[in-house]
Amino acid sequence: MIKLDNVTKIYKGEHVALRDASVDIAKGEFVFLVGPSGSGKSTFLRLLNREESPEQGRIYVAGKDIGELPGYKVPYLRRNIGSVFQDFKLLPNKTVYENVAFALEAIGRPKSAIKEAVPQILELVGLAKKAGNMPDELSGGEQQRVSIARAFVNRPLILLADEPTGNLDPATSVGIMKLLDRINRTGTTVVMATHDRGIVDTMRRRVIELDRSRIVRDQARGVYE
Amino acid sequence: MAVRLDYVLKETGSNLRRNATLTIAAVLTVAVSLSLVAASFLIGKGINNSFLGLRSDVQLFIYMKPEATAEQIKSIKKDLDESPQVRKVDFYGKDKTFAEFKRLFADQPDLVSTIKPDELPQSFRVLPKSTDADVVAAVGKQFKSKAGVLRVEYAAEYARQVQRSLRTLNTWVLIVGGILIAASVLLIFNTIRTAVFARRREIEVMRLVGASNWFIRLPFMVEGLVHGLSGALLAALGAWGFDALWKKNFVNQVAFELLNQIRWSSGDLWLAIVVIFFVGALTGAVGSGIAVSRFLKI
Repeated sequence: MIKLDNVTKIYKGEHVALRDASVDIAKGEFVFLVGPSGSGKSTFLRLLNREESPEQGRIYVAGKDIGELPGYKVPYLRRNIGSVFQDFKLLPNKTVYENVAFALEAIGRPKSAIKEAVPQILELVGLAKKAGNMPDELSGGEQQRVSIARAFVNRPLILLADEPTGNLDPATSVGIMKLLDRINRTGTTVVMATHDRGIVDTMRRRVIELDRSRIVRDQARGVYE
Repeated sequence: MAVRLDYVLKETGSNLRRNATLTIAAVLTVAVSLSLVAASFLIGKGINNSFLGLRSDVQLFIYMKPEATAEQIKSIKKDLDESPQVRKVDFYGKDKTFAEFKRLFADQPDLVSTIKPDELPQSFRVLPKSTDADVVAAVGKQFKSKAGVLRVEYAAEYARQVQRSLRTLNTWVLIVGGILIAASVLLIFNTIRTAVFARRREIEVMRLVGASNWFIRLPFMVEGLVHGLSGALLAALGAWGFDALWKKNFVNQVAFELLNQIRWSSGDLWLAIVVIFFVGALTGAVGSGIAVSRFLKI
């Protein structure tokens, strides 16, 4: 599903963010990216939906070399990749329902399809009752559920999560991880960057460790350290 | 690239409201600059019409009688060609004269339809070698009494001077209009930049979920177009008012002996309005296009 071939990313011609990374991730895998801040985790994720392009190497998503994609096709790549962030990136002036619906409107889905899909996904993330609330009326965990709903409503092949539990307390984090696990079990490939030792050690999934821009460990059913 | 129209209109509308003050400033600047362009265009047309026979290379008109024979015309032509005083001669035959007449009175079709080409006097338009008024008058005198000649007229020097000053004035109006158009482009550019900035969170989310580039761009481009076209609409009203005022105050007033010759047809007015809308749309498209490409990372 995802393949990196000797990928190197250099920012502004000097700062190497990722060096010579080669990774193969199969469909339906759940992968943790771990490592200290600045070790290249976010860059790794940003390369996958072509927010960034590598200086060297090739990246394949769903069998396609995404470096070859012309700019106008990049949005179609992103429709297959959901993204979740530490800071949720919800629109503060839209309700929970509207925030999720916005993701479908933006890719031109018909109104009827939106009316059907949004309540379904809100049910899945356990927020059916909060559809009419504004984001600032929700707890952090609930806001993250909205953002996961928005990322998953289009049923992408891949879900990228950049420290999704970074702003949440441990109990709430467990709930979010259960949700991501559930999404993973529908066949969606999940790649999650995290600092959360407890989560990684409990879930025992594949762990890719980055240190100073290099992949230093790639372990099936791994632990944080 | 299926972007829903109602979406674009909704987003554009909310951008315009959000930036009401900047929008008004942009629209007014466009309106003023395009009004100046329109006025300059109309006056320019008027100058060309009123002085069609007074082009700077013509100093002397020899009008032939309508009943003048081909022989007589030929003989005058021969004399002019052979005259050492003459630099250039243009013969205006029936068709050429009628064509010019139609152009001058295009807004008076009744008049045009009552005149037949045969009834208009044919003429020679002569450029003597010397511009000295006395020499020109001497050349004219030679032809005044020849067979078939109706009368000889001289391009008055003061008329030419008025024409020159009007042209200069008109050039300045056009330059100021041009500068204001540049200002309009900058204002629209800034307004769109502000709109993009105000919506940066939405844009970020749209990019993340894979909205197509046109879906993101279009509302902003349409916003710029609305600025340009609204300004053009106001300027069209301005041009129409200018046209009415000019006709009321100058054209039908005997007192303004030279200004009342500067007239344009309703066709010219329509052409000016078309030009206004074209330039307005272009201004909006250029201003918003630059802003979108510079500030909308897709």
